[in-house]
Amino acid sequence: MSSATEQRTTDQATETDSGETGPVRTIGHDEYDPIGTLILIAIYFAILVLLWLFMYFVEFLGNGPTVVGTLVTVVGLA
Amino acid sequence: MAMRNAYVDQFPAEAKVIKAAFWSSFLALAIGGLLGLVQALHRTDVVRFIDSADYYTVLTAHGVLLAITFTIFFLVGIFTWAVTTSLERGVVDTRFTWSWYAMMVVGTVLVGVTIFAGFLEDAPEILGAPLNADVLFTFYAPLQAHPFFYVGLVLFVVGSWLAGVDWFRTWWAWRGENPDERIPLPTFMVLTTTLFWYICTFGVALSILVFLLPWSLGIVDSVNPLLTRTLFWYFGHAVVYFWLMPAYMMWYIMLPKLSGGKLFSDPLARVVFVLFLLLSTPLGIHHQYLDPGIAEGYKFIAMTNTMFLLLPSLLTAFTVVASMEHGARQRGGEGYLGWLRALPWRDPVFTGMALAGLMFAAAGFSGMINAGMNINYLVHNTWWVVGHFHLTVGTAVALTFMAAAYWFIPQVTGKALWNRSVALGQVLLWFIGMTFMSNAMHRSGLFGMPRRTAEPQYSGFEFEPAAGTVGEINAQVALGAVILTVSLALFLLNMVLTSFNGSSDAIPDNTYAGTLSGPEDAPEILDNLKLWTAIAIVLVIFAYTLPVASIVENGGLFGPGIEGQQLTLVPDTATVLETVREVMP
Repeated sequence: MSSATEQRTTDQATETDSGETGPVRTIGHDEYDPIGTLILIAIYFAILVLLWLFMYFVEFLGNGPTVVGTLVTVVGLA
Repeated sequence: MAMRNAYVDQFPAEAKVIKAAFWSSFLALAIGGLLGLVQALHRTDVVRFIDSADYYTVLTAHGVLLAITFTIFFLVGIFTWAVTTSLERGVVDTRFTWSWYAMMVVGTVLVGVTIFAGFLEDAPEILGAPLNADVLFTFYAPLQAHPFFYVGLVLFVVGSWLAGVDWFRTWWAWRGENPDERIPLPTFMVLTTTLFWYICTFGVALSILVFLLPWSLGIVDSVNPLLTRTLFWYFGHAVVYFWLMPAYMMWYIMLPKLSGGKLFSDPLARVVFVLFLLLSTPLGIHHQYLDPGIAEGYKFIAMTNTMFLLLPSLLTAFTVVASMEHGARQRGGEGYLGWLRALPWRDPVFTGMALAGLMFAAAGFSGMINAGMNINYLVHNTWWVVGHFHLTVGTAVALTFMAAAYWFIPQVTGKALWNRSVALGQVLLWFIGMTFMSNAMHRSGLFGMPRRTAEPQYSGFEFEPAAGTVGEINAQVALGAVILTVSLALFLLNMVLTSFNGSSDAIPDNTYAGTLSGPEDAPEILDNLKLWTAIAIVLVIFAYTLPVASIVENGGLFGPGIEGQQLTLVPDTATVLETVREVMP
């Protein structure tokens, strides 16, 4: 971190006016393993894939061509 | 007591401008938000006290005041904060700062007065045209607004351009004093965002200054609606990132600190902002998948560019969540997911931003559907789209800004927040209200319920969606809108009562998050703004030259005799029902 920004950044959250407890330990770059983040992102990705499959195969392909269908109805062809 | 070191103590002159920008933003939020309630209750037929023709005036004001005025006034405030705080120096000249702010105010007033004149029975005639602008947020031709509407928009945008000049000047001055230093991350975020703002607003400026304004003044007789639409969307998608980048900035540089940790990676954050600079603009045509007159191939290129933007969005999800996890673990959090409990959920600033991020994850899904060229047909122009952008700008951005205000207003005023518990309740209510409203809007889109419609009645004929009913959808939307309005009122109450507080010594220091991996780990080339801007312009040229040339070739530069239309509606329920019965017996 450059010297110009050092004083402006904060190492720890010092704001505890919400009544929360502050940090109780320091975890450096090398000892930090964001396994929880990996799990959350994996869950999110799975949700995205499942919802997309639902939207494409059920909602999109499962419905008829609505715009064309209505037009055909209006002009009395179907 | 230790000496206070809030923003107002460090930069008292800049704090005044930022405070003014915030209050302009809150005023727009108050008016625009209230109009949102009017619309929701009217459309769902819960309470109708305006004429249905006026619905479109309300809709225009709601869109412009919230999507343009609220967001941009707030972001020029936090961008000015970010530049001055991270460079540790004031702006070069606060008179210049005040002048761009004043220009934005004048522009807003002009636009606002023109839109609101639409409510008058006999709007005054100025410059030979009645004063109104019932053209909705997108101002598609042939809908035509009074020239004041376009002039006001131009002034507002030029004001924002000058704000960008202000940030760049400040950075240049700093660079002269610190020639060998990396651009501090918050300033880097501001500069990259400003650069794509310049690129994208070029399109809307062209649309207004060359076509729509001369047309509304009667200087030219016609415009090419597809051309002005395309120029609008050239700007219209990038503008969503202009709102979103300040929210991203808050997530990157405030959330880690509030969580009790550090930003996981400064280099990743820089990569994300560079990607947004590159990709924000050459994809606007994805809003025009159903526009005839643009070849499928160009739409496919726009889709590809859009899908590429999933990359910086997922990088952000990873970096921001990893930073929060770092904070939670430093606060004693344990386990695979148990650390989530160690986050400061009672802090409204943290909780508001975290919930906004969660909503944004949901918006990522509906955005993927919107972006797919084929699947977009399912939801195009339905209420689904409205549900989508109420998750993005209406929550990811708006809720982040409101939560941020709980930290910023004390910083720029030196006054303690009136009530933190009310603030916490407020952000929760916003989340709950939006869950009802947006979920129902998305689902109704799947039924094919249209957006931008004052009276979607769905009565007098059989209509059975696969799941749920129109009545249930309407109830959820109305309930959601009421909860959102209560939340908005609580926010404004907190802001107003805070401003009546006396000065406090208990304001936290003006700081942002440190980093686990700092700029020294980021390749120098990331800071080469000229290079990224050049590539961004080349991408825009690739994406837009051929489609625009083809639009001009087919429809002419000024179109085939398209005259302006003022929106006039005489609601006649009997006729509408008769038509519907013919179609759906």
